[in-house]
Amino acid sequence: MKIYRSRWTRREVRAVDDISLRVPRGTIFGLLGPNGAGKTTFVKLLLSAVLPTSGTALLFGRDAHDPEARRPIGYLPENHRFPTYFTGSGMLDFYSALSGLDTARRKKLIPEMLDLVGLGQWGSVRIGKYSKGMLQRLGLAQALIHSPQLLILDEPTDGVDPVGRRQIRDILTRFESQGVTIFINSHLLAEVETFCRDLAILHKGKVALSGKMRELTAGKGYRLSVPRAPENLPDNLIEQLRIQATSAATRDGLMDFQFPTRESANQAVDLLRAQHCEIEALAPTTSTLEDVFVRTVEGAAR
Amino acid sequence: MATVALIRDTFREAFARKIFWGLFGLSAAMILFFLFLLKIDLVEGGMATLSLFGRTANRITDADYLVRRIYAGIATFLYTWGMFLSVFASAGLIPSVLEPGRIELLVSKPVSRTHILLGRYLGNILVISCNVVFLVLGVWIILGIKSGIWSPSFLISIATTIFIFAVMLAVVAWVGVAFESAALATMISIALMVISALLAQKDTMLRLLSSEWSRNLWRGLYYVLPKIYDVGRITLNAIQDRKFDDYASVWSSALFAAIVLAGALRIFAKRDF
Repeated sequence: MKIYRSRWTRREVRAVDDISLRVPRGTIFGLLGPNGAGKTTFVKLLLSAVLPTSGTALLFGRDAHDPEARRPIGYLPENHRFPTYFTGSGMLDFYSALSGLDTARRKKLIPEMLDLVGLGQWGSVRIGKYSKGMLQRLGLAQALIHSPQLLILDEPTDGVDPVGRRQIRDILTRFESQGVTIFINSHLLAEVETFCRDLAILHKGKVALSGKMRELTAGKGYRLSVPRAPENLPDNLIEQLRIQATSAATRDGLMDFQFPTRESANQAVDLLRAQHCEIEALAPTTSTLEDVFVRTVEGAAR
Repeated sequence: MATVALIRDTFREAFARKIFWGLFGLSAAMILFFLFLLKIDLVEGGMATLSLFGRTANRITDADYLVRRIYAGIATFLYTWGMFLSVFASAGLIPSVLEPGRIELLVSKPVSRTHILLGRYLGNILVISCNVVFLVLGVWIILGIKSGIWSPSFLISIATTIFIFAVMLAVVAWVGVAFESAALATMISIALMVISALLAQKDTMLRLLSSEWSRNLWRGLYYVLPKIYDVGRITLNAIQDRKFDDYASVWSSALFAAIVLAGALRIFAKRDF
């Protein structure tokens, strides 16, 4: 548990409360949550940048406060500030030395990592000259250079252009296939949806939802779109459809009804056709991650 | 390996700051100054001056006296202004590590926080040591060649200056991790130098103070705080081949530094970043 206390009023904010996440080895795991949900605090607890008020943070079964527990971890913080006196190579050399790589391995791996993130020509340039996207890619190289088992990335594509994003995604997929577990903390839902196989949503310091991405976003059903004109869709029919549907919404002269099953959708079609109503479209749907996120956060807030 | 990386990082950061180049430039200028004086024959000139006042002294004794006076002057300069500039230049090197976005990454590495802070501390001492060794050794060699007098006692100032800098840096580290302010760290360290000079006038002050509690307070502060002034006096006595036996000033200052540094390490180990 992590509680932050105001220095003067002693008011308490419970940032993280009894979180236990099981992240399958070799997958890309997404951690989501609204602002102030405790995502960054949770990640910092794992890395021992923040110390728990009570309890213990465990990594690979070891107390996260033990430096050895952090050896198999690569980390890219959000809003990182790498010292600008470093060159790209110098920066990788410093952080990889702290990660325990000896001189010979550093010499071999630094050019390889710079090439991997597309900065092969920039190794001897001071990082003060790097763009935001280049710094992000260099940060990723720093996190990967010592071949970690677990990679923790806080907003990894923040400030990166679409080409760079694709590059980062390809690199992460490559490391995932090598068995590296990747833990992504991001606000970009579309990106998490594309990247991650597993997911957890934090709200007010607790896990509000967790599971496989495929299952969580499989809020499946059928959307029936009907022209809204009164001569086509009388009010009494709308009421009957609303009762069967899980939701109903109006857009561009159409009324969309969401049905949870194929049977209920077919019944609605039968009802409409019996009254000679026209149907615009009937399509199977899945929930987007955004739907899941909003539903979870709103549900947890209630 | 991590220790070497941390020390190298401190060197990199130090030399990325112009103020450290200024510090080394000042030392180089001082060495060049003596080199220039050497060309106009400082010792011969000094001895001529002495003889102008009618003193016909032994040539070697006078040269030795003059060289030792120069050494004492340099040691005093190094110990006061040099120390001030060193603390001023170094005060930012510890708070800079604590900057958000930098410290999270450092503490996420498999290195203990104690190791990180001690690595910085040691690196900082080594940076300043390079400058002190450069200046003292440079002047010593130049004056030695010129005068033929090789007085190793001047080299003691290397050890005492670095020692007192290490004591002051412990204070800088403590203020740095507690308040993340380079300016405050400088102010407190300089205040400590001034207070030390005042407290060292203990015998005079104890006679002047009227109440017993104020005398006890003076004594207490004198024994608790580092004895920067007293260690400086030891240096001068050593350079001028005078007797000194005030080793208590050295070990009590070392004890003060160890306690303050331990406090800094504890604060650093318990902080959230």
